[in-house]
Amino acid sequence: MSVKTPSKLEKILAAGHQAVTSECGPPRGSDPEVIREKARLIRDHVDVVNITDNQTSVTRMCSLASCFHLKQMGVEPVLQMVTRDRNRIALQSDILGAASMDIHNILCLSGDHQSFGDCATGQNVHDLDSMQLIQTVRLMRDEGKFLGGGDISRPPEMFVGAAANPFAQPHKIRVPRLAKKIAAGVEFIQTQCIYNLDRFEEWLAEARDRGLTEKVYILAGVTPLKSVGMAKYMKNRVPGMDVPDEVVARMAGVPKEKQAEEGVTICVETIQRLKEVPGVAGFHVMAIEWEEKVPEIVERAGLYPRPAMP
Amino acid sequence: MRIKTLKRLLPRVGVDPARVEMFNLSSAMGPRWAEICNEFTERIRQLGPSPIRAALGRGGKGGTAS
Amino acid sequence: MIVGKQKPIEETWAMVKDFSRVLVFGCNTCVAVCHEGGNKEAQILASLMRMKATQEGLSLEIRDSGIERQCEHEFFESAEKDIEWADAVLSLACGVGVQFMVKRYPEILVYPGLDTCFLGDVEKNGLFTESCQACGKCVLAETAGICPVSRCAKRVLNGPCGGSNKGACEINKDLPCAWQLIVDRLEALGRLADYERLAPIKDWSTERAGGPRKLIHEEFMK
Repeated sequence: MSVKTPSKLEKILAAGHQAVTSECGPPRGSDPEVIREKARLIRDHVDVVNITDNQTSVTRMCSLASCFHLKQMGVEPVLQMVTRDRNRIALQSDILGAASMDIHNILCLSGDHQSFGDCATGQNVHDLDSMQLIQTVRLMRDEGKFLGGGDISRPPEMFVGAAANPFAQPHKIRVPRLAKKIAAGVEFIQTQCIYNLDRFEEWLAEARDRGLTEKVYILAGVTPLKSVGMAKYMKNRVPGMDVPDEVVARMAGVPKEKQAEEGVTICVETIQRLKEVPGVAGFHVMAIEWEEKVPEIVERAGLYPRPAMP
Repeated sequence: MRIKTLKRLLPRVGVDPARVEMFNLSSAMGPRWAEICNEFTERIRQLGPSPIRAALGRGGKGGTAS
Repeated sequence: MIVGKQKPIEETWAMVKDFSRVLVFGCNTCVAVCHEGGNKEAQILASLMRMKATQEGLSLEIRDSGIERQCEHEFFESAEKDIEWADAVLSLACGVGVQFMVKRYPEILVYPGLDTCFLGDVEKNGLFTESCQACGKCVLAETAGICPVSRCAKRVLNGPCGGSNKGACEINKDLPCAWQLIVDRLEALGRLADYERLAPIKDWSTERAGGPRKLIHEEFMK
């Protein structure tokens, strides 16, 4: 796949390296130091950093401003953008805003339903869905056009990503859904956290058979478990999450004070196994409010040092 | 079904839902009918005057339909 | 049909209690089917309000009446006298009926007795479910006859989203995921390959977003 944007993530992937990405959630306030501090913890161990967009529908500092703070400190951001809160005018406008700051990566999502957040009585927009947002960014970038047909002066140069969940139901459309996102124009995928490796490999094999891994870079999502409680919560309460009983049992099998370490070890072993699977283009390490563990995970998994890119 | 609805609504206007009940009887069930009448009269006596009667006694005049 | 739900009596009572002649006015079509706004419900509500009036020692007179539909001129004749008698009408119609009365009787105060909820069907006795949002451009041909605009909490046209959970929507485990239903039906019809057709960006100008809508049949206009 040839390089189409100035994105560092795209260059690393195109050069055949397995990429490492991570993510940070902006604060519930306006202090940029919070986001900078999180970024400092991981900057040397990851290639780019996603900034979430009001995740779980809880109001936070916007993704765009947070990306700007990363950019200023020399860390390459991935702008996450959900279709929940903005119509097509605001989406395109924010894409241009990001492009004006030379933000070169975007992740297109629909976003959690607002009923989970701090504004449960609010409206949701969903003027576009996530696939249509992918199409929109590609139109803006490749044709230099707005949805309304007008020309864009200095079009955005963004590497376009989306999420995929190999574990969600209905199972039968997991690979077709990936194909659909590729048809919409997606270039990289960050997956849901993987605990059921067999199921993930099955999904990836099916994607490979259809030639999809030749058309999109798939970054396997991993999240270290902090405790057996977190494992159970993820298993039972988070939609579309597949945490096998063996993983819960393994966490339960070590004393409480060793569970965090065990969680990190499971995460490292997951990466080590998946590194060898054809079609895995890299890893998305989501250490939820546990950013300080990212360097250890990356080092132990043998993904350090990160390649230097011009 | 409608009685259920009424029992839900009556307390909202300050009336004890126990003041309404529905029984299904055939015309051949005289003794049962008498029994129900007695039981229900006794229930209403126990509950005492309805708040509406009490209000009328105070000289309230509203609520008259034509 | 249009589904509505009676407002709490405390709320409607506060609207009407300071008048002297109040008419509780039923609408005997859609909202009668869901047992909330028909002529029978108008009788019951009027009766409850009389009980309240008596207990509060108020001297307002409350009557009930109703017609087949409050959204069409031709049904009003039989109730004209009742309406003219009243100095306030508590309409148990949907928002359409209430506003139709406001237009028809500019001198009379008309209050809403219902919260109009949605366009839905009678799934079974006592259960009414939303199944259309009148978006003005039907997509059912592309979605196996199941509407994602009204039945998906995010109205995604290329679903399911990440919140689809064991066939249910993440916001409520009793709410089926519309996209699960669509995929299941496509499969049952042997058309699962259709799933991969991308739904284009929707023109929402025929929906609420485009402003109040009108349908005009010139041949029927006098």
